[in-house]
Amino acid sequence: MRDSIQREVVVKAPQERVWHVLTEPAQVARWFGQRAEFELREGAPARFRWDDYGWFSARIERVEPPTSFCFRWAEDPDRPLEDSPSTLVEFTLTANHDGTTTVRVVESGFARFPTERQRAAYEEHVDGWQLELDELVALIDALPEAATP
Amino acid sequence: MMARTPAPSAPSATEHAVFLALADDTRRELLERLVRHGAISASALARDLPITRQAVGKHLDTLQRARLVRAHKTGREVRYEPQLAPLRHASTWMDGLARQWDDRLGRLASLAETGTVTPGDEPST
Repeated sequence: MRDSIQREVVVKAPQERVWHVLTEPAQVARWFGQRAEFELREGAPARFRWDDYGWFSARIERVEPPTSFCFRWAEDPDRPLEDSPSTLVEFTLTANHDGTTTVRVVESGFARFPTERQRAAYEEHVDGWQLELDELVALIDALPEAATP
Repeated sequence: MMARTPAPSAPSATEHAVFLALADDTRRELLERLVRHGAISASALARDLPITRQAVGKHLDTLQRARLVRAHKTGREVRYEPQLAPLRHASTWMDGLARQWDDRLGRLASLAETGTVTPGDEPST
């Protein structure tokens, strides 16, 4: 496991149609949150709303129809993107021979400093590393129960 | 009532601390050694590592701040004991996030295939 989540789904629809659902704000609001407002262009500001939480600021980072769509979004609601920890969400669409489309999503950047103060407290720079949590968890799970404090 | 779109789940301070503490090869190595050998001293930990005893101490401090390690004083010796709950907690959080994405991708697939979200999954507006 890196400091990222990767998931995949095979959609029984052509790539162009999947791209439309993936990137059209009115469609996005039906599968990601309850509202979505953005212009489909790199660098454009965006925001997504979950009624129970508020608006989450975002920025469109990459638009390469019909294969690649990427945005950075804030972890904290109702705050500018710059003032909140944020993660990067990258979608990749692949057309399959049988007419289906594979959608892969990678969300990354969970293991960065929530605040500059915390970064200072760590006195080191750890951008760009990988978190191999799964190896550690596997090791722990393999231990006899008595050996785990 | 219709199911709501699951809200985003930001990592808590605890998870952040765990991710950060494990963002370093040496600290992961140290934690693995502690898990394998149980509670041992910083000197014993440092013995066959290419880093100084002081560097090991600094890394152990970081692991302690993330509550992944606890120091135990026995006489004059301090032994470090691995604490696995925060690690499991972080792992569970990652699993929850993976499920959220599965739900979102499921709705996206349904929209692309049928033009509607599967009944029960439709987010309320």
